[in-house]
Amino acid sequence: MSSPWAYIARRLLLAVPLLLGMSVLVFGLMRLIPGDPAVAVLGYKATPEATRALREAFHLDEPLPTQYLRWLSGVARGDFGIDFRQNEPIGRMILDRLPVTAELTLLAALCATVVGVPLGLLGGARRGGATDRASLVLGLVGISIPDFWLGIMLILLVSLGAGLLPSSGFVAFAESPIENLLHLVLPSITLALSRSAVLGRLTRAAVLDTARRGFVQYARAKGLAERAVLFRHVLPNAAIPIVTVLGLQIGYMLSGAIVVETIFTLPGLGRMTLDAVLERNYPVVQSTLLVIGALFMLVNLATDILYGVIDPRARQR
Amino acid sequence: MTRSRFWRPGPAAYSAGEAPLTGPRLRPRGPRWRRPRRAPQPRRVAVAGALLIAALGAIAVLAPSVLPGSPTAIAKDLALRAPTVNEPFGMDDLGRSVLSRVIHAYRVSLGVALGSVALALAIGAPLGLVAGYAEGWPDQLIMRPLDVIMAFPAVLLAIALMSVFGTGVVLVSIALAVVYTPVIARVVRAAVLATKVEVYVDGARALGATTWRLVLGHILPNALTPILVQASVLMAIAILVEAALSFLGVGVRPPTPSLGLMLADGRGFMLQAPWMVVFPGLATMLAVLGFNMMADGLRDWLDPNRA
Repeated sequence: MSSPWAYIARRLLLAVPLLLGMSVLVFGLMRLIPGDPAVAVLGYKATPEATRALREAFHLDEPLPTQYLRWLSGVARGDFGIDFRQNEPIGRMILDRLPVTAELTLLAALCATVVGVPLGLLGGARRGGATDRASLVLGLVGISIPDFWLGIMLILLVSLGAGLLPSSGFVAFAESPIENLLHLVLPSITLALSRSAVLGRLTRAAVLDTARRGFVQYARAKGLAERAVLFRHVLPNAAIPIVTVLGLQIGYMLSGAIVVETIFTLPGLGRMTLDAVLERNYPVVQSTLLVIGALFMLVNLATDILYGVIDPRARQR
Repeated sequence: MTRSRFWRPGPAAYSAGEAPLTGPRLRPRGPRWRRPRRAPQPRRVAVAGALLIAALGAIAVLAPSVLPGSPTAIAKDLALRAPTVNEPFGMDDLGRSVLSRVIHAYRVSLGVALGSVALALAIGAPLGLVAGYAEGWPDQLIMRPLDVIMAFPAVLLAIALMSVFGTGVVLVSIALAVVYTPVIARVVRAAVLATKVEVYVDGARALGATTWRLVLGHILPNALTPILVQASVLMAIAILVEAALSFLGVGVRPPTPSLGLMLADGRGFMLQAPWMVVFPGLATMLAVLGFNMMADGLRDWLDPNRA
């Protein structure tokens, strides 16, 4: 297994059964809901005719395996079915919401990297110094702050208190790029803070771990300036775990987006999932769960592959 | 020799046995707070975290019987009253004591954290033990379905489970346990895989130890460190997730005081009564911080290679 292509192909093949498993889990979960979905939608006052019409329209009378295969073949063609309430195609709804969540996640990932990695680098390079001790404390506090509380505090202090940035709503990038970014500043910071703390802690650990290695001592012994040792020898080797964790964090941010989108009333995928859960709109829940789960898996897969390409040793496993 | 201002490893950057090629300064210069020091002793961090949790736990268990205020008694005339000496956390929109509610909410938070992790350990640890010890097809049979659960982000899966099975303290704990079981199983499996090749395990086998004795007497005790660390991390996350679920309306049901529910209630009054959102949030952070300190300290204390 020395070629990166064989490694990539193997990872991709492993993803297929995982995706199928996820679809079974999501589908099964939604069928475990107690009660008749038709009654849940129409209410107890619905006439038998209306209930029967709805059951027929959504194929609720078919055996479960048939329902599952029908749903799966639809999903494979990009057809997620029709929503119980608004009678809109779910695929369309997801496509409308996805860019918001994607933009939020990417901005937050950028924030987390820009803050977390240099902080960890500084701490690791000057272990025990004032910067290091400060960043250790900040990191510990950072991973302990509840993100929904941070969001509320930011709204209270920055939006309502100082009147600096909008506290809710969303403007499409195409409409006004500046307004769009202004609306996403606070949500991105909220989503990024704990992630930057995780990244900072990891970067510090990776730098310290690499600094112990023989090749670093050798680089220093041959008379390289300390700065060159850090940037040419320590950082590239410490980058491998950092990239992996960054990938994982992007995945987690997809689910953190549910909370952040709710606080800042952003029309994203997370908010859509939560709304569907609260109004018991199961076809939508089922689809968004699968889409977010698949995105999460794809990000992890991309990280795995990247990891294998950067570090040939990882392909062995 | 010249030393960069930027990259200046302190003496502690080297583990014992590897002599630093650039020695420490003979006489430290600069203000005292800038000088490199040894990192904080991990054992102290762990003990501080454990003490913090113990203190919060004691308050949650004991205070309700000592404090006069009820967390659910509504007093309209006290609504949104600012913090005073008697009520340092102020009153909420229904005139309920925020302090009293925070303390009662700790019972829910800590209860969910302990309950969910205990349940996940009870299910996940045996699964991981079998998978790691047996390898081969039992390993595949156990771990592949758990991979599917792990393929979902934790918060998302918890929300989905709550939407199916309803809300309430017990259900939150069960949902979190489901999410945590594969994490525990993976950690236990990895620890068992690493431990079972140790010489002392071979030794015990050669002496005729049964499989049970081998696993429970020799492998499990030596695989305990990562399991303990993971359990504290998961408890920290459990407190955060319980609060998040309740905040979103899919966690603990309303009359029960929960930190997340208090934040959700307080959002509507945050300009008139900021104490309604400040204190529950700080309280959440304090409990999470305690578990994180415990996890950090335990990891560095019990695993000297990492610190």
